Amino acid sequence: MIELLTAVFSVTFFVTVIRASTPLVFATMGGLISDLSGALNVALEGMMLIAALTSVIVSAYAPWWVGVLAGVSAGAMLGAVMALFHLRLKADIILVGFGVNILATGGTVFALSLATGGDKGTSINLPSKAIPRVNLPFLEDVPVLNLLHGHSLLSWFAVLTVVAIWYFLYRTPWGLWLRGVGEYPAAPEAAGVNVRQVRTWALVASGALSGLGGAQLAMFNYVGFTRDMTAGRGFIALGAVLLGARHPIGALFAALLFGVFEALSIVMPNLFSWIPGELIQTIPFVVTVLALILLSIRAQRALKARGVAN
Amino acid sequence: MNDKTALRLSTALREGSRALLALVIALLVAFLLVLLTSDEPMRAFQTFLTAPLGSARTRGLWIDDVAKLTLTGLAFSLVFQARQFSLGVQGQVYVGGLFAALVALSPIGQTWLAIPLGMLAAMLTGAAYGFLPGYAKARFGASEIVSSLMFNYIAIRVVNWVTRAHLAPEGSGQLSSPDFPDTAVFPALIPGTRFDLGILFALIATGVVWFLLYRTVWGLKLRLVGDNARFAEYAGIKSKAVMVSAMTVSGAIGGLLGAVYVQGRAFGRIDIDFDANLAFEGILVAIVAKNRPLAVPFVAIAYGYMRQGAQFMGLRTDVPTEMLAVAQALIILLVASQFNVPFAKTIARLRGRRPGGKSREART
Repeated sequence: MIELLTAVFSVTFFVTVIRASTPLVFATMGGLISDLSGALNVALEGMMLIAALTSVIVSAYAPWWVGVLAGVSAGAMLGAVMALFHLRLKADIILVGFGVNILATGGTVFALSLATGGDKGTSINLPSKAIPRVNLPFLEDVPVLNLLHGHSLLSWFAVLTVVAIWYFLYRTPWGLWLRGVGEYPAAPEAAGVNVRQVRTWALVASGALSGLGGAQLAMFNYVGFTRDMTAGRGFIALGAVLLGARHPIGALFAALLFGVFEALSIVMPNLFSWIPGELIQTIPFVVTVLALILLSIRAQRALKARGVAN
Repeated sequence: MNDKTALRLSTALREGSRALLALVIALLVAFLLVLLTSDEPMRAFQTFLTAPLGSARTRGLWIDDVAKLTLTGLAFSLVFQARQFSLGVQGQVYVGGLFAALVALSPIGQTWLAIPLGMLAAMLTGAAYGFLPGYAKARFGASEIVSSLMFNYIAIRVVNWVTRAHLAPEGSGQLSSPDFPDTAVFPALIPGTRFDLGILFALIATGVVWFLLYRTVWGLKLRLVGDNARFAEYAGIKSKAVMVSAMTVSGAIGGLLGAVYVQGRAFGRIDIDFDANLAFEGILVAIVAKNRPLAVPFVAIAYGYMRQGAQFMGLRTDVPTEMLAVAQALIILLVASQFNVPFAKTIARLRGRRPGGKSREART
């Protein structure tokens, strides 16, 4: 127990938490935007996975930032495809989302095997690149501030993204439209807002953000692609959207919370070799279920206190 | 009455032809992909299309897949009909498989009770595992999509751990339990193949689900809740209880699939990761069958054939099995959308555009 505590209160653990949280934060923001526009995006998982592979393959032949951009565009394109099928062809958004997820699970293995010449497990023989780490050597010995040292460039960008999304949603007219479209589409429709267009852009943005998450996962957390490497993070992000009460700041904290537990499941095998690895791996999922239930209970109580529920 | 049957027949025909069209489009795209990526595209595609019929053994593999796809398709159809996006079938398969394996490896496994008790244990645990996300939703309002998926991840990891650490012979490093005694394995209907009792159970389950949905009060309530939960509530139906029971019954089917897996001739033991993601593909079967239980086996036959074809293509040629994912996704997207409408609409639009275009010009 003491070992666990010393491990948890160390700078390296903090770095691990930030590293584990960054993909989740991006995917959560992606889920939030589409959810607020009234289109529940269950394809975050598949979008991240496809973007992860895209950025790995592209970064093997181009600078790292081109790889990241390629991942983002892959995600955005999937968002556009979802918008096409959901909004134009009237398919159920959840079914479309699972179509994308199924495409991702098998399609990435197919594409990986083509890109590596037959390897279906990892991209180990592709010289893919990493996102640079932001080193602040002058802070290294300063207490507290040294926590800012050594994070991925995209982690810093994630903070910026959350603030930008908050500003967009609550301080710009477009954000108001987007929330209105999700809340009560008839009202913005009457005000002359093109509901379908707003949802399309929300899905595209959702894909682009998940794409950033995928790129961070495959170009920083791990350098290279392994099959099914997202391992449920997209669905955990979906839980984080709900847990964060559909607000960017709340969602950020929810994603950080799940990041803490993922980081725990990363450090625990070294400390407690007697706990089977499979059980440690279940921690993020168990925490997500529990958090979801606790949040729902709280939300119910709040409704009751306001006298809305029976 | 005659009108009704005629109407039903025409709907079935229309839906069937749409599914077929989706299949043809998906196959064309798959063919293009093979053409672009393979050194011997003709041989690869021929393997994909004909290999499952090759021998009694391959036909057995196909039928075995059909049985399993039917069961998972039924489990998904049942919850989808209640408009619950509970996606926990995979988790139910794992816990069901585990409990069937525990029965088979216990002293009971040596007796004739092994098969019925194994199946019963699997169905009960599957039902309990399906009940959990249902209860969390009904009682607390926790999204069943997220919770059921989390339950899948948990079940797979826990069952894999039990299999590896407790059921595998100690110190062997094996990733599977020892083989079950013969009494605990389904007898083959055709000797030497995987054509076993599983297909029989799948067909019985199809009949039972159809009967439950269309010939019982519970089924009527379930479908009403699926159509419009609020209306059902006004009509005095306890929609929450119906949702939870739908997820529980669906869980029992998922559990049954677990038993069919481990006790079937394909395994006769429990392995880690034994479902090879098939349980999840029931989502495709249910979508294409439009959640209608009687259509599920037919979709399973067609899809199971594609699935086996892709397996053989992956084994015998240079095209990876996973190519199938592209076809799968296309089928889901096309069947879930009203893709035949756009063509009709475009034509209608081309005809009716002119006045609209003029008015727009007039405005500017």
